[in-house]
Amino acid sequence: MKTQLNLEDADQFYENLMDAHLSLTREQSEALNARLVLILANELGGTERLAACLAAAVDAGKSPHLQQS
Amino acid sequence: MLQATPNYTQAPAANGYEFSTGTGYQLPEYPFTPPPELTTGQVMRHDIVIVGAGLAGLTLACALQQYGIRAILLDEDNTVGVKGASSRGICYAQKTLEIFKRLGIYERIAAIGVQWSVGRTFAGHDEVYSFDLRQQTTHNVSQQPPFINIQQFYVEGFLVEQLYKNAKETQDAQQVELRWNNRITAFEQKADFATLSIATPAGAYTIEAAHVIDCSGARSPFRAWCQASVTAKKGYDRWCIADVRFKNPPPVERHTWIEAPFNEGRAVWQHLMADGVWRIDYQMRPDADPEEVSREDVVRQRINGQLGRKVHASEYEIVWVGPYAYRSECLDQLRHGRVFFVGDAAHVVSPFGARGGNSGVQDADNLAWKLAAVMQRRATPALLHSYHEERHEAATHNVLVTNRTARFLRPSDGAERVFRTAAISLAKRHAFARQLVNTGRMSAPNVYSRSSACTPAGGRALQNVALRWADGSPGDVADLLKWAEGRLLLLVFGVLTKGQARHIIMLTRQTDMRCVQVLGQVLGGMPGGKGPGTAKEHVLDPEGHLAASLGGAFWALLRPDSYIAATGQQIDAELTRALTTACGDMF
Repeated sequence: MKTQLNLEDADQFYENLMDAHLSLTREQSEALNARLVLILANELGGTERLAACLAAAVDAGKSPHLQQS
Repeated sequence: MLQATPNYTQAPAANGYEFSTGTGYQLPEYPFTPPPELTTGQVMRHDIVIVGAGLAGLTLACALQQYGIRAILLDEDNTVGVKGASSRGICYAQKTLEIFKRLGIYERIAAIGVQWSVGRTFAGHDEVYSFDLRQQTTHNVSQQPPFINIQQFYVEGFLVEQLYKNAKETQDAQQVELRWNNRITAFEQKADFATLSIATPAGAYTIEAAHVIDCSGARSPFRAWCQASVTAKKGYDRWCIADVRFKNPPPVERHTWIEAPFNEGRAVWQHLMADGVWRIDYQMRPDADPEEVSREDVVRQRINGQLGRKVHASEYEIVWVGPYAYRSECLDQLRHGRVFFVGDAAHVVSPFGARGGNSGVQDADNLAWKLAAVMQRRATPALLHSYHEERHEAATHNVLVTNRTARFLRPSDGAERVFRTAAISLAKRHAFARQLVNTGRMSAPNVYSRSSACTPAGGRALQNVALRWADGSPGDVADLLKWAEGRLLLLVFGVLTKGQARHIIMLTRQTDMRCVQVLGQVLGGMPGGKGPGTAKEHVLDPEGHLAASLGGAFWALLRPDSYIAATGQQIDAELTRALTTACGDMF
């Protein structure tokens, strides 16, 4: 998994992402994110890479205290 | 005789199918003959006793009969199917059909069964995607179609009749003896044999068995008798089957609705089988009352909803209705001492992908040749260990695959449902997302990756590829396997040197295997330029399908169950090792 910046234009992407969610309800946002995850997963493709990305996302949601233990 | 078109009569409810309704099927009944032990009082010891004449038990009996092995087949009632619940498995996969070809009943199945290869999946009112199995490389070189749909009791009836027919032809009714109305009441086992107590309408008796093959289904008493541990997962999904016959039948395709508008957004399956009977399987609310959902007026309401109008009762007949909840379970060991667990007795899965009955038939075919090889002293008893290694791997895989489908079809509220909705909406636009829509991964031959009877290059099934006999007449791999009569079959591609030929002849004598030379070109243009092939027996593979199926290997060691034990490029010690391995370290 890439941990260094790989985005060509991080600010642009972030803004586009926010804009896509702008007028959506929480539920619609959730659905959009789910579709996006599936599309991006297909772009990546590799089982190991996807597993690493998934683990990193799960991990980052844990509190720093738990991370240390 | 099994009737070509059964009468539909009132069926009694039994065997836990207490809410089954419908006009039902009339099943054949077979005669009870009092076993000789009842008069002699003698306790006989048999090599093989098979318990349960369902798909698995009958396949095993039929295969053993073909290999010339003696066996007793016990069944607790006197018919095929389940009394009052005759409609069970309907979908027979290519590998299973190839086995039935070898056993001699394929033509009968093909004659009345329904072939299909097109499947369509819908969500709401939209088609999400469709597939044609004939276009897929996994199915396209076999002589058998990807699937045939037919009621299970037909297949079982054909197997019974095949057993009787073979017994008549060989004039040896005792070779494989069918004992109807023989119910096991007790069991115990010692190191080298097991004792079975059996109840019959004419009294009770006892027999001993060197091998007990438990094919008695998901409620097998042997699990408790052997203290077999089971890895299980309870399903909470409820379904209700309606087998119906329309006056004006819909197209012969598998239709699957993930979210059917006419079933409150739940799933529906629609499949055609023999006699113009459609199986429509409705997913119910998890808390649905099985008795209510099987009531005739409720079933008719669902049909009305599906066809979008009030369908008059005269337009279709309800043949059978059965509600069910599935579970998934797998024994941790498929062998306990003298007892081998086969089919549902060994593993139970949800019906998605047709992996229940099909894996039972394939279990039986796997075990049959190994038992025969051990009985006929072509292999050591160690070969029987590979039954667990291979079929437990298969069962574990089937459990994994079917559980994934079940989860897709009954997502929990929250993220699981959100992602399913996302996958469905993407699938309507993009090809990649169709693979995420999981309405069942259709049964395909399992791979054996950790079998002690296969080398790492083996463990794959070979399809029933077409070939030509030396005289140019058409044949196939199943014919070759029948000719080998339960022996290992060495296929050698192309021309052999004298040294290689000598080596093979020596191995053939030592191990009692059979060898066939496979030549690419049609007669006249023999490689080497003269005469027939260098080996005594040779076949032709003019299109190269057989060679391609074996990955261009120089030789392949094929087992009687049409699995490849090993392949190689040199006739050397590697071949000898492969043979040794496939015979339970015999040589």
